[in-house]
Amino acid sequence: MALSFPSIEWVEEFKRQINSSEGYKKAGATWTAGVVALVTSAKPEIGIKEDVGIWLDLHQGVCRDAKIVTAEDAQKAPFCITGDYARWKQVIKKELEPVKGMMQGKLKLKGDLPTIVRYVKASQELVECTTRIDTKFLDE
Amino acid sequence: MAGYQNRILEVDLSISQMNIIDVPVEDKRRFIGGSGVAAKLFLDRFNPKVDPLSPDNPLIVMNGPLTGTTLPGTSRFAVCGKSPLTGIWGEGTCGGNFGPELKFAGIDGIIFKGVSPTPVYLSIEDDEIELRDASELWGMDNYILTDFLKQRHGKDKNPKVLSIGPAGENLVKFAAICNDKGDFIGRTGMGAVMGSKRLKAVVVKGTKKVEVSHPEEYAALRKLLITKSREAMVAQSFRSMGTDAGMDLGMMTGDVPIKNWMIGEDLELSANLGGPAMTERYLTRNHACSFCPIACKRIVKVDDGPFKTEEGPGPEYETCCTFGTLIMNNDLAGVIKANEWCNRYGMDTISCGATIAFAMEAFEKGLITRKDTDGIDLTWGNMTGVIELLHKIAKQEGIGAVLSEGSRKAAKRLGKEAEELTVEVKGLEAPMHDPRGFHGMGLAYMMSIRGACHLMHLSLGVEQGITTYPEAGFQENYTGQTSEGKAEMIKLCEDLGLPFNSLAICEFVAWTLSANELAEMVRLTTGFDFRLKNLLACGERTWLLKRGLGNMMGISAKDDRLPKRILTPLKDGAAAGSVPDVEKLLREYYEIRGLDEEGKPKREVLIKAGLEDLAEKLHG
Ligand code: SF4
Repeated sequence: MALSFPSIEWVEEFKRQINSSEGYKKAGATWTAGVVALVTSAKPEIGIKEDVGIWLDLHQGVCRDAKIVTAEDAQKAPFCITGDYARWKQVIKKELEPVKGMMQGKLKLKGDLPTIVRYVKASQELVECTTRIDTKFLDE
Repeated sequence: MAGYQNRILEVDLSISQMNIIDVPVEDKRRFIGGSGVAAKLFLDRFNPKVDPLSPDNPLIVMNGPLTGTTLPGTSRFAVCGKSPLTGIWGEGTCGGNFGPELKFAGIDGIIFKGVSPTPVYLSIEDDEIELRDASELWGMDNYILTDFLKQRHGKDKNPKVLSIGPAGENLVKFAAICNDKGDFIGRTGMGAVMGSKRLKAVVVKGTKKVEVSHPEEYAALRKLLITKSREAMVAQSFRSMGTDAGMDLGMMTGDVPIKNWMIGEDLELSANLGGPAMTERYLTRNHACSFCPIACKRIVKVDDGPFKTEEGPGPEYETCCTFGTLIMNNDLAGVIKANEWCNRYGMDTISCGATIAFAMEAFEKGLITRKDTDGIDLTWGNMTGVIELLHKIAKQEGIGAVLSEGSRKAAKRLGKEAEELTVEVKGLEAPMHDPRGFHGMGLAYMMSIRGACHLMHLSLGVEQGITTYPEAGFQENYTGQTSEGKAEMIKLCEDLGLPFNSLAICEFVAWTLSANELAEMVRLTTGFDFRLKNLLACGERTWLLKRGLGNMMGISAKDDRLPKRILTPLKDGAAAGSVPDVEKLLREYYEIRGLDEEGKPKREVLIKAGLEDLAEKLHG
């Protein structure tokens, strides 16, 4: 059954996909820089009343925890990437490479840029994981 | 005309004579400045058939109207003439601080003609302009020379220095011109043209102002653009990691050439050579060209080891590839050392590194032996051998003399098999962006005026999705590995990119702004009623002018090609299996650009662009 993005179920499935990805395990093996939070900006017309955060506790190629948090909590993560719904949809559909999206200002990063650049391969593997989720987009 | 000083200094080095000229206002409006105005001056006053190293080839240093204003990214200037490396129109732009200072001395540009009987340098202190003896300076490297001249001329104000090192003196065909140690006109060998004139340096100090046409609107725009260009992600990325920030991302997208363009991916190389590695290991501080809020320049230091290097200007992305990935060297300290020697001697790190990569492959294949290299081991990745070879190239010794001609001519001497190892277009070694990952870049290399060039058009930023200008007609996103729609994209990239080049604005800053804002910069500075459509028309006109010059210098359709290596699919990496569709790209581009089967702009296209004089010269 397709899982709505964003939702608790989708985030749990994302965690499962990350932890079964050989590619991510390898590319993120040395990642010790902490939590990455992904924030989707509010879009009331499709039912997202306020900003939604996805909290990914990534460590050495493993996702230790994944949950939905408030935008305020998401900002506490060492890396927080914010974008509107359409942009995240493009990322999940592999139409927008996240680091490229950040360069173009379509996604906003808070956090140490050199670290993100160094782990660009890991970020691609995370995107690969999202493509394996049967996703239902709220605006479709 | 505001923005300009309306004075161009003409120096005849043969007879030590100087006078002031200017170009008509109409030509400023039509070609803006920088390399655009320089190309028009060349067309009007010089012979395209000239030998590049003869006294009759001019060396034209030219500012743009924004140079010396306080708008972001406007420190650049161009140096142009016929290239001794390629035998066609040559040009390069440079950041740094020389251009603005020349403007402060009341001068838009300098045309050097003739050849001095003895080495000289030109000293400009506002209206006091003199040629001075440089016999004692001949042979000095750029770092020592710059320090010496700054000391001699720097009592009241820090002078800015434009200079050549021993490579320019020795007529190395890819010799560069240096501005204050860290900024270079690297491409197309303008340093050799300067050396052929026995002109060692230009030292400038000025105190004049650059007037702008609409001061209040200008001030408001400036404030907005500084904030925009400082805060853009690409700016932050370049500020924190330099242009080498592109290495890790480039490795993922198939942009980075490895082992003389034979390998598609090597993550260990990018981890060792990329921006994060340089920042963590060797960066001491950032540096910026005048009036730049981005500050992408690296100042680096290697504390110990075989490549110990004193604090000084660090390598750009291109250099980290040519002296890193391209030759299978994963020691960044070695890249820093090679960069320092290229800076001191004054050599283009792209052409030089690419020619060495070619030599390494030739060495591997037995086309060059230890006997030819005087015992230097040119095995892939051997940086000690590379540094030894750099000295030989700059001094034109042994195998160095052969390689100092650039890879195309060096390969010709080594035979047919060697020619297949070169990666150049029209004699200019390709920069470090692989057209197999980005097909549009392949077309841009084929059609660039000066040979394989990644800068004169905006394709690097646009096709890779770092920037976009929808208001100019670009799509929001392009797919790299397709040739579909790329002819149209590249023409637009050129038509918008060439005016940026003539304005002499930094492309990295331009990536952070909109095309309308860039047109506004011109309008508010010069007073020309300039809108985006004028910028695009100016770009088209300038492309046609430079192409026409190229045609008169011998370029025809058969030269618009990609080297065999780039048309050979990679087996690994993000661009595996993909090659540009050359035939499609050229067919569509020729049609859109209005070129005839010989590769010349058609008469009617030239006339429509207001280039009747060029039409007459090209078509009779
Ligand atoms: S971005 Fe870099 S190259 Fe461009 S003007 Fe600024 S410091 Fe100079």
